[in-house]
Amino acid sequence: MIDLIQTLGSGILVGLVYALLGLCIVIIFKASEAFNFAIGEFLILGSFLFYVLFFNETLPWHRALPLGVLIFLFFSYVFFFDIRARFVIAIPSGLVAGFLIFCVLFFGLNLSSLVSSSLLRFIIALPMGLLAAGFVGSMVERITIKPLLGRSPISMTIITLGLGFFLRGCIQLIWGSHAYPFFLDLPDITMEMGDFLFLSDPIWAGILSLLTFGLVIVFLFRSRWGLAIRATSEDQAKAMAFGINSRFILLIVWAISALCIAVAGIMISNFGALQVGMGYVGLRAIPVVLIGGMDSIGGALIGGIIVGVCESLAGTYIEPMGLIGFKDVAPYILLLIVLFIRPYGLFGTVRIERV
Amino acid sequence: MKQRAVFVLAFTLSLILLFILPLSAKEIKTLSQFPMSGPVGSLPEFGWGFIDGMNWVNNEGGGVNGKKIKWFLEDFRYNPTVEVANFSKYTAEHPPDELLMATGYITGGLKPLIEKVNKEQKIPWLDGSYSTEIFGAGGGPSKYPYYYSLGATYGDQIKVLLKWIKENHKGKGKPRVAFVYSPTAWGRDGTPEGIAYAKKLGFDVVAEIEYPYTATSATNECMQLRKAKAQYVIYHGYSGATSYTAIFFKTARKIIPKAQLMGTHYTTGRFPILVAQEAFDGYVGVATRPFSDPVPRAKYPKDNAMVKMAHEFAQKNRPEEYKKGLKGGIKDMFLYMEGLTYALMLQKALTDADNAGDLSREGVKKALDNMVWDFKGMFGGKTFSYKSHTIPMLQIFKAKVKMVKMGDKMVPTGGVYPISDWINTDEIQW
Repeated sequence: MIDLIQTLGSGILVGLVYALLGLCIVIIFKASEAFNFAIGEFLILGSFLFYVLFFNETLPWHRALPLGVLIFLFFSYVFFFDIRARFVIAIPSGLVAGFLIFCVLFFGLNLSSLVSSSLLRFIIALPMGLLAAGFVGSMVERITIKPLLGRSPISMTIITLGLGFFLRGCIQLIWGSHAYPFFLDLPDITMEMGDFLFLSDPIWAGILSLLTFGLVIVFLFRSRWGLAIRATSEDQAKAMAFGINSRFILLIVWAISALCIAVAGIMISNFGALQVGMGYVGLRAIPVVLIGGMDSIGGALIGGIIVGVCESLAGTYIEPMGLIGFKDVAPYILLLIVLFIRPYGLFGTVRIERV
Repeated sequence: MKQRAVFVLAFTLSLILLFILPLSAKEIKTLSQFPMSGPVGSLPEFGWGFIDGMNWVNNEGGGVNGKKIKWFLEDFRYNPTVEVANFSKYTAEHPPDELLMATGYITGGLKPLIEKVNKEQKIPWLDGSYSTEIFGAGGGPSKYPYYYSLGATYGDQIKVLLKWIKENHKGKGKPRVAFVYSPTAWGRDGTPEGIAYAKKLGFDVVAEIEYPYTATSATNECMQLRKAKAQYVIYHGYSGATSYTAIFFKTARKIIPKAQLMGTHYTTGRFPILVAQEAFDGYVGVATRPFSDPVPRAKYPKDNAMVKMAHEFAQKNRPEEYKKGLKGGIKDMFLYMEGLTYALMLQKALTDADNAGDLSREGVKKALDNMVWDFKGMFGGKTFSYKSHTIPMLQIFKAKVKMVKMGDKMVPTGGVYPISDWINTDEIQW
């Protein structure tokens, strides 16, 4: 019994992180009907952006400068074409943003010299890192997804496949392929009672994932922007007819998605180390969303927990029986069973198409 | 008229000589392949060490009795298919009396090449794999006469660790040993032999766990080890440079703090100090090479001639990369030294064959079989014989990691330090 509770608890904690990954897929799918296969690369990228700020990791000038220039160009473009700012405002704004990014990357933020407490440093660096991740998400959307608006969602999905390879290459070029140590040193909240043991890092991962999940739900259901996003998800054409800027909504959705993936990435990196090869973790979101339902936010939460628990149970009870590697396969077997019974997932909307 | 004819004849002859002589002059060629990219990460250091080594061999090192080696280097991206394809390409393009030796690096590549190397091409093949299946009792020179390994087999590595446990176990009762290994040809190699030997020594083998490279958490595995009350955990089949090793060590230190974590060659090194930091402190592992790269790098062991040579080579030929370290430079000197040792081994084998008057594949094979060498002082002056087709030298190391404040950051310092003399596994009566 103790074993079972321990296994279920561990599974739920990891499952909450998976749920967050699932949420990122779901919100993009709801807004554009595209599946983001570049989720793994967003996960690594978001973690690296946080890493730069939290661990004061600097880059050599030949890597920091092109990134600064890229930010300058992007900012200027968005200010000029999307926000419709005047040229004399757009260019200086882009320059300031590009210069700031270059300074952060080249000189470092050096938070540790300002704040000694690792928790406080985390509290400062996390929103900054997430903002950076969200910003990159929106940048990617603007460059790769926006030109495809109005085309088949399949085109967008395929673009995300290519995008994944491109992002991976960029990350390798900037940060290399080796592992980076990742120690957040958050307050120890390990729970140990007799034979029960829940480590601090997975508990923090569970708490932060749940918190992020909650914040996204509040944003979607309790804010004007959220309402606009939901309206766009329902029917893009109608939403535009009502004066909602669907193109900008899509940008926000990608930004939120990238931001949430970054939280999951940071938590997973904290279990071990940060490395470009970790991108495979993003694929855990596939069984999560297919089990929960591609367009169900609540389904992502339940799907994540189911996948986490399923992996944990398989690892504790089935693998020791000699079925080595079953832990990785178990969520997919479960997925097959669910799809046989409910082809749209447990909470997915059943679509009836008249032909 | 006569003068013109003589001139034309001389001109024609010189042209013929110009084209024919190089064709008739036999070259000494070698093919080397390293995993410089792919799932193990970006490891150009192998290539850097090898290139610097071969340049030294051909210039200051005197080549093969004055003759230069034409060497080819390929990155097989940790992909056996690429390794096999490269080998096929080069053996098709270069005649057997010129392409005299080849080198590879992984167990996964050795298996599909068995027939091609040992029966078709009959070319001496040096490898970084320490496969027990290929080089151990079930394989070896009688079965795979052209395969040579540059280190003791994984089975022998695990058995040396088990012997260490036997000699150092202080608790009451039998030692409780657990095996954690990767679900790969590498991880599964040597583990059954280790388990059998543990049982022979009278140990309790309390857990056998396959821990995959795709792990996001090691909680389940470590809870199983805790439940099994494992006192010694042998972690085998993993690179020390990757996130899964950091996940395992960080989790194990918290869940099974009293267990002695142990490991084989590719986990025993600099990387886990950097990525797992204090969680790696106290680790006991074996390695087939001397430890070459502590943190900070300047404190490298200068008493080992090979280590000193590797550092001097890197400082001279790659000063920027040596200084940069993790930031786009030489991340671990072991990798650089490994490339260098391959270059030195190629020169030694080819020179020995040439000295014996038989610079052919068979001659190189004979030279390797009869080789008794100290590998430029790599094993503290001890020599090894290549009779078993492995370099059967091992040393046991213990990790000492301490966090120190450097500027505003806490950084790990330390290394893995020898706790035994060099052990020749061919001389051990198991």
